[in-house]
This record gives sequence, C-alpha cells and structure tokens, in this order.
Amino acid sequence: MASATAAGDAAPPDVRLGPSPLLEVSDLRVTFHSRAGNVYAVQGISFSIEPGQTLAIIGESGSGKTVSAQAMMAILPRTAHVTGSIRFNGEEMVGRSERELRDYRGRCVAMVFQNPERSLNPTMRVGSQIAEAITTHLPLDRKQAHERAIELLRMVRIPAPERRFYEYPHQLSGGMRQRVVIAIALACGPAVLIADEATTALDVTTQAQIMDLLLDLQEETGTALLMISHDLGLAASYAEDVIVMYAGKVVERAPTKELFAGVRMPYTQALLDAIPRIDTQPHVLLPVIGGRPPDLSVIPAGCPFAPRCPEVQQDCRDQAPPLKQHEPERWWACWHPYRKGAGQ
Amino acid sequence: MSVPAADLLTTAPAQDVLGGVGAGPRVRSRLRNLEIIVPGALLVVLLFFCFIWPLLYHIPSPTVADLFEVNRPLWSPGHILGTDAVGYDVMSRILYGGRVSFEVAAAVQAIGLVVGGLFGMIAAYRGGWTEAVLMRILDVFIAFPSLVLVLAIADSLGPSETHVIWALSAFSIPAFARVARAATLRLRDQPFIVAARLSGTRTWRILLQHLAPNLAPQLLTFSLLGASLTIILEGALDFLGYGVPPPTATWGNMIATGQSFISVYPQYVLVPSVFLVATSICLNMMGDGLRARWGVR
Amino acid sequence: MTSGEVLLEVHDLVQEFVLRDFGGTKGGVLQAVAGVSLELHVGETLGIVGETGSGKSTLARSVIQAPPPKRGQVIFQGQDLVKLSGRALKSARRNLQMVFQDPFTSLDPRWTVTRLVEEPLVAYAEGDRQERRTRVSELLDLVGLDPERHGGRHPHELSGGQCQRVAVARALALNPKLILCDEPVSSLDVLVQAQVLNLFEKLREELGLSYLFIAHDLALVRQVSDRVAVMYLGKLCEVGPVQSLFAEPLHPYTFALLNSIPSPDPTVGRRDTASVISGELPSPLDPPSGCRFRTRCPRAEGRCAAEVPELRELTNGRFVACHFPLPAREAVAADGKAPDPVVAVAPAPLWPAEPNGAG
Ligand SMILES: Nc1ncnc2c1ncn2[C@@H]1O[C@H](COP(=O)(O)OP(=O)(O)OP(=O)(O)O)[C@@H](O)[C@H]1O
Ligand SMILES: Nc1ncnc2c1ncn2[C@@H]1O[C@H](COP(=O)(O)OP(=O)(O)O)[C@@H](O)[C@H]1O
Ligand code: SF4
Ligand code: SF4
Ligand SMILES: [Mg+2]
Ligand SMILES: [Mg+2]
Repeated sequence: MASATAAGDAAPPDVRLGPSPLLEVSDLRVTFHSRAGNVYAVQGISFSIEPGQTLAIIGESGSGKTVSAQAMMAILPRTAHVTGSIRFNGEEMVGRSERELRDYRGRCVAMVFQNPERSLNPTMRVGSQIAEAITTHLPLDRKQAHERAIELLRMVRIPAPERRFYEYPHQLSGGMRQRVVIAIALACGPAVLIADEATTALDVTTQAQIMDLLLDLQEETGTALLMISHDLGLAASYAEDVIVMYAGKVVERAPTKELFAGVRMPYTQALLDAIPRIDTQPHVLLPVIGGRPPDLSVIPAGCPFAPRCPEVQQDCRDQAPPLKQHEPERWWACWHPYRKGAGQ
Repeated sequence: MSVPAADLLTTAPAQDVLGGVGAGPRVRSRLRNLEIIVPGALLVVLLFFCFIWPLLYHIPSPTVADLFEVNRPLWSPGHILGTDAVGYDVMSRILYGGRVSFEVAAAVQAIGLVVGGLFGMIAAYRGGWTEAVLMRILDVFIAFPSLVLVLAIADSLGPSETHVIWALSAFSIPAFARVARAATLRLRDQPFIVAARLSGTRTWRILLQHLAPNLAPQLLTFSLLGASLTIILEGALDFLGYGVPPPTATWGNMIATGQSFISVYPQYVLVPSVFLVATSICLNMMGDGLRARWGVR
Repeated sequence: MTSGEVLLEVHDLVQEFVLRDFGGTKGGVLQAVAGVSLELHVGETLGIVGETGSGKSTLARSVIQAPPPKRGQVIFQGQDLVKLSGRALKSARRNLQMVFQDPFTSLDPRWTVTRLVEEPLVAYAEGDRQERRTRVSELLDLVGLDPERHGGRHPHELSGGQCQRVAVARALALNPKLILCDEPVSSLDVLVQAQVLNLFEKLREELGLSYLFIAHDLALVRQVSDRVAVMYLGKLCEVGPVQSLFAEPLHPYTFALLNSIPSPDPTVGRRDTASVISGELPSPLDPPSGCRFRTRCPRAEGRCAAEVPELRELTNGRFVACHFPLPAREAVAADGKAPDPVVAVAPAPLWPAEPNGAG
C-alpha cells in the first residue's frame, strides 16, 4: 500500500531493527515555572514503545498525561522546563532546535487531539488542511499533495473523498471531523501516533468506529499507537499494555490482560471500581475514593496517593515508593500492593 | 471564559500537530502589556494636566487675550507653547480644549454604552418582533451617511457642546447596539443564561446581572475605540463650524483659526493636531490592547 | 421505590428548528424531535440514550419549555406546560429543574457559588436574606461542598466535579420533584463521575426525587435507571425496563449500541469490526422515509422504507418501534444469565459484510 511506503521513506534514514525501542522516554520531568510558583507536572516517567505496539496511558485529569504527550511532541509552551531524555530510534530529542524538531514532528511522531472542532481551521477546506500538512514535510507538488490527501481521506474511510476534499469542517459531523484530524496526523506516515483523548468528545458508537479505524490503520501502516485516556474500559478493549499515571508519576505498568486479572496498585483499583459496569444492578452505589489529586506545586515526601489510599500505612507517608519491576513485565510503585492472582 | 489549563492544552489548534510553536508567548505578552501601559500612562498624564493641573497652578486664561504677547514662538518664557495671533496662550487653550474633547468623548460613549447597550441587549435577548422593530429603528440611523447625519443634527440644534454630544450620540448608539446585540446573541443560548431563566429569574435581572457583566469587557474595549473616533469627529465638527462655537477653546477651533496662518505659523495647526491625533491613537491602542488581553472578538 | 403514579407524561412531542442560509432565507426545517411519547412515574429514573444529534437535549429542553415545543403535550403534575406561560408556567416549573452537561458553561463565570445557589430562591422570593443563606449552606453541605471554603469562589476556581455539584445544589434549591439531567457527568473523568453519580443516587433515596437521565454511555444509564428509552434521529426506538432491555434488546439499533461499549474486561478481546454500527447518522434535515434507522439497519427490508414503524408494546412493559424486532431470546447467553453484551455477538446472520466498508 502506498501509505506503507510513505511511512517507510518518511522515517529517518537509520531505521534500526534491533533491540532498541522506537521511542524511549527515560526519567522525563516537566516543570512549569511561573511567578505563582512551580508546577511539577511530570515527575520522572520512563517507558518505551516498540514499533506496532499499542500502549495506553491512563489517569485522572491533571495527572500529567497531556503534558507528557506534549513533551514527546516537543510542543510544550515556553514556560515548561524539560529534563530527562526522549529518544527516537536512539536519537536524543530533548534540547533539539526548532528547525530539527519540525522534521521530527509529523514524520516521526504525530498527535491527534481531543477536540476535533478546535483542531481544524474552520475557514479552510478540509482537503487543503491535509494537503498543507503534507507539503510542510514532504517534497511533493500541489497535485501530488492533492492526490495523497484524497488517498488519506479514503484511508480514514470518509465516503466520497473527492467531494469531501472541498468541504469545510462545519459541514462534517464530529466523528467525521475527528477522521480528518487523524488523516492530518497520518499525512507523513509517522512512526508513532499519539491519540490524546481522541474519542472522549465522541459518543459510544462513533468512539467505537474511530478506535477500530485507529487499530486498522495501525495494522496497515505499522505505526505504534500511544492512546491517552481516562477510561480504563477503553484501554482494556484496545491496548496491549497499560501505563497508569497519578500526580505526574507512573504508578503501575502491565500488559493489559495481566493488569485486569489482578491489579497491584490501589489507585488503579480505584479507577477500575469507579467505572459503571454493564453487568451491575441498577442503583448500586459505586465504590469510590474521596479527595482530589494532590497539588502539583509541591513534591510530596511520601506516596502521592497516600491521602486517598484505602491501604495506606505509616511507611507510605514517610517515603515515596519507587516504580520497580516486581514481576516479569509488571512494574508498580506501592509499598502494600494487592496480591490477587500473584505468584503463579 | 474560564477554561482549565489542561483543557486548553489538549485542544491546541491543528497547526501545532505538525507546525512550529512560533514567537515565544512570553515576548508576545510583554509586548501586549506595553501596548496597554504606554498609551494608558500618556492618557493619564494628559487627563491630569487638563483637569487637575489648572486647579493647582495658575495658568493664563484660554479666552483672555494678551494683546502685547501675540505670535510668540514655542518655548517662550511664560508661554511654553507660545501664543497665537490674537494673543491667547496656546498651552492653556490646548489644556482647556482637551477638556472639551475628553468630556465629549466620555459623554458620547456613556450615552452610547447605556442606551445602545440596552437596545442591543434587549433586542437580541427578546428576539422576535422586539428585535425586528428595535433593529429597524437603528438601521434607519445607520443607513444615513454618518457624518451627514451628524452635520444635519448639529446644524439644526445649533452649535454648543451639549448639541455636539447629542449629534455624536446618534452615531455611537447604533454602533453600541450592534456590538451588544452580536455579543448577546452569542451569550443568550449559553447554558448559564438558560439555567438562570429556568430557575425563575426575571428578564430584567438576567439582562442586568448576568448579561451586562459578561458583556462589559467587550463594550468597554469598544468604547475606547469609539472614544478615539469621537475625538476626531468632534474636532471635525468644530473645524467645520458646527461644533462648540469660538471663542471656547477646543482643538478643532484652534485648527480652524490656525489654518489662515499655516504658511507663516504652522505650529498653530500642528500643535493641536498633534494632540488630537496622539490622543486618538492612544485610545485606539489601549482599546486594541485590552481587546487582545481579554480575548474579546 | 416507584409508585404507579405518573409524574410526567409526554405526548407526541415535536420540536423543529428553522435553519437559515447565509442570506437569511429559509434553508430548511429540521425536526430534532419527531413525535415522542413517554411516561415517567414518581420516584423513577428514566434513562434516555442515543447518539449525538439524536435529539436528547432538545427533548429535555422542550419538556422544560426552553424553548416550548412546536406541537404535543407535556403534562407535568397534571398540568400541560405547553399551554402555560408567564407566571403560571413559572410556578408550574418550580418542581422541574435541569442540570446541564458542561458544568463550566452552565454557571455564570462572574458569580460566586453562594450567589449562584441562591439565585432560584431569590427568583421565587423564598424567605429573607438570612433564611436563604442558611438554606444555601444546607444545600452546599448536601452536595458535599464546604459552604465556608467554597461559597465565595467563582466557577473557574472549582474543579469540574465541584462545579457540577454547584449545579446540582441550584437545581435542588426549590425542592423539585423531577430533575432533568442532560449528560451531567460526561465531561467529568471516571473518579469524579462516580462521585457525582453516587450523589444522584443518594439524593434520590433521601429526597425521593425522580430523574430523566440523558447519557450516551450505556453502562452509566444502566447504573442509574429503572427504565430506558433509546432514541434515534428524533424518534424513540425502544423503551423498556433496564435489565430486560439490556439483556434482550429488541430493536436492531439498541443491539448495535450495546455492542459498541468498550468493556473493562480485556479477556473479551477486540470485538468483530463488523458488529460495530457502520456509517454516519443520516442528515436530520432529510431523514430516511419509513424507519429512520433503515439506512444502517442490517435487517432492513422493503417494508421498512415504505412504512413508519410505530412504537408498540411487544411484551410486558417492552415497547419497540420496528417491523422486524429481534427475537427476544436471541441475545441471551446459553447459560441463561444476563450476558455481557459484548460477548453476545451474533454477527453472522445479523450483520452482513459491509459493502462500502474498508474500501
Ligand atoms: N438551536 C438549534 N438550531 C438548529 N438546530 C438545532 C438546534 N438545537 C439542536 N439542533 C439540531 O437538532 C438535532 C438534535 O440535537 P440535540 O442537541 O437535541 O442532540 P443530542 O441528542 O442532545 O446530542 P448530544 O449527544 O451531542 O448532546 C441535531 O441535529 C442538532 O443539530
Ligand atoms: N502551561 C501550563 N502551565 C502551568 N501548569 C500547567 C500547564 N499545562 C499543564 N499544567 C499542569 O500540569 C498538570 C498536568 O496536566 P495535564 O498533562 O494536562 O493533565 P492530563 O493528565 O489531564 O492530560 C496539571 O496540574 C496542569 O494544571
Ligand atoms: S504506597 Fe501506600 S499509600 Fe501509596 S498506594 Fe501503596 S499502599 Fe497506598
Ligand atoms: S423497522 Fe426495519 S429498518 Fe427499522 S429497525 Fe426495524 S428492521 Fe431495521
Ligand atoms: Mg489531558
Ligand atoms: Mg445533548
């Protein structure tokens, strides 16, 4: 397929197929400096993505998911201070100049945002917006860009792409607009696609359509998919691995199946319990934890979840648990994890 | 409107998907502050000299000529900006003329804000035939070439400061009404207005307590832009002889009388013109700056 | 919980919007609600589900007369609200309140929490200033906010969940009988959503409230509702008690909706793509003839295009608007338990391969 070749020649020249992961984030920290004080939005997260993998980052709002994604895209506002490392195919991306990053964005990593209304320019035809994204990065002329744009529209399963090319965003439904946004993100065949709450604004049927589209596209083009969401249910249905974030830190990481077979970290359990289940009785109260995520302007001494944790003990308040690998492929940061299904 | 920071981040515009970040936001916000602070400070200084300075220090009367001191150049002792052909102190005429300009601008904007604002708000909020009738009335005003209308009103009422204010209000009321109507149309169907209506709150309360405070930023920035225009128009009316009658000092009158000497004493025209244009530009810049700062469209 | 007494009765409700072209000429008439009838009993929660644009919000807004519907009756506590206006409407509406979807835009950004909660009390001239302030404190307590700490804040100084609590406190101020909730938790994230849902449950039990609960999340509707109405393109497809409707959907659209829920159980795996409802919602300006779902319905036949299916009672309490409803037993798992609907795919006969799918 043409898109696959585009993905191939769009990637940087030294695509190494080897043990090194596609995108490797280590000890990433993002701090926002302002007169009102510092906000430690991301406090040292590490993970990696392999080609073709689907990874989900889960967490409440304000846990630092978007800021992490923005750091990976290098589109943080100027007030942000980034330390740590983000390696794409072994190449360090933190501290690169704007010009070098321009090529990295779009061709290596692309992003789909939450709100399709606001990610599209209302005064521009959708086709032109896709074509523009193509010509910014690839050496194609107008006609070729036009053809490629139509091909992309077809790829995201928009019926009658030749006609839709000339329509304006307001003439499309919410789901259709999100498809256009995805087409823009895919324009240059990125190796990693970040979908930040890409379906949160949509209703269930559209959400299912868009998620299926994303997974199909992933199969076709071999991109890695990093989906960011606050909905564990969505992650369970679509991701291979799940990372749970809380207060700027990764608190648990596991393959999806194992995670749901036995959660270790109490926060993950709380997230899971709070989802209304299709199989519960009506009017049953949901088990829910009180409180709110901590203020990120101070780094707490102990476990950030301690004030809300049902399992909390004194040592949790004294010392923050580090994220460690405790079982094959399973990491968590907790002194008193649940043990369901452990030890087999 | 307040949107949590996190939401703003997740909804960055499409250009950010692939494009660059552009000029640093910090630099831009600095510039924006200067855009408001510099003209604001200049206006405060001018207002101080026009309204308060004459109370604190004796300055020559603007309407009593000193026949022995005519045509003095700029920077003469006792007459910083010189005197004119009749012997009036230019500095003093500038300050008193400034009073007139500011008074007219403030009054015209206030009338426009209250009357036009209410018109526009009620029209948009009530909709239906109320809106049709109110807006039709305003359209009549707008249909006339504005300056012709103002001249006609000024001419029939006769020259005086109050009449200038009425004449120029004929211009500001429909303008405010349009702005208020457009803004109200955007707010009218906002859930919080609907919620207020559903909780039983009366219309006039919704207008005054929910709509008006939310329209305020927009109308205030608009009034600064309007004031900048009013000052020019007032000058023009005076210049054409339809405004405040001489010998009252106004910038327009000074330009009108000065123009016969323009080849010999260009400063008689230049000095009031500079004040007129500079004040107008300051008001305009401030309006623009605040508009950007408050995110008003 | 529910007594048999009818609180709200909607008959053949129609709401239309006249769309205008750029020139201001009439561009067409959009029927957002096209003849909806339903009943809500005292103490009951009726869930309404449907895709974006199916007319859920419009239905709720028409019920509360903001704006009044084009045709039809809305009988609330024995009075037809459509016929009332002015003062009579205001006093009838006292017992009917609404909570909106977006907690930030449904509160005036320039007002404080106390003033916002007090507003309905002022509007209905309840008590003097002192009594009203006491009542506001009670209400804030009831919804789990601290009157001291939160009372003086503005909406932007609160989180989404707290804002929604303020909106609920406002709705409760006049001791209403029925609250219309238009997607009250869909802009909140899971933990906060669970807190607010629990609050609704608590208030229902303590105050004996009834709810009309709009949502597009089926699991959530199942959690809170006694009965569910499924809406598609301005019409009801199916109405029934929550458990039997979820266990054995009768309308093909209900079945499709149930199939698109992501399950928090990964062992289920990714469902068959063919079972996801395909295509777009048709334009409401020009709805399909006959059954409005026929353009996306795998069971559609000639009769569906010719004849509008009326909502009829099929079995006890189960209403469906379909010429060829699903057999009641089809969706039930072999062991007879209420199945996880994601497992209960019967794609082979029901969903033929999409001809214009992944082309
Ligand atoms: N004021 C209006 N003017 C014109 N059309 C409208 C108006 N309000 C709603 N509509 C249209 O009516 C239809 C139903 O809209 P409604 O808001 O009731 O949908 P909904 O089911 O609540 O959707 P959502 O899940 O997105 O809230 C849509 O096609 C919508 O575009
Ligand atoms: N530009 C910014 N300036 C200051 N703080 C910010 C900025 N952007 C995000 N934050 C803060 O960083 C934290 C994480 O935000 P975010 O990544 O958007 O959360 P989410 O997990 O919901 O995507 C929040 O506390 C947020 O308020
Ligand atoms: S470390 Fe302690 S407080 Fe933190 S999650 Fe584990 S048990 Fe709870
Ligand atoms: S009436 Fe026909 S088209 Fe409509 S839902 Fe039933 S089978 Fe499908
Ligand atoms: Mg986010
Ligand atoms: Mg709605």
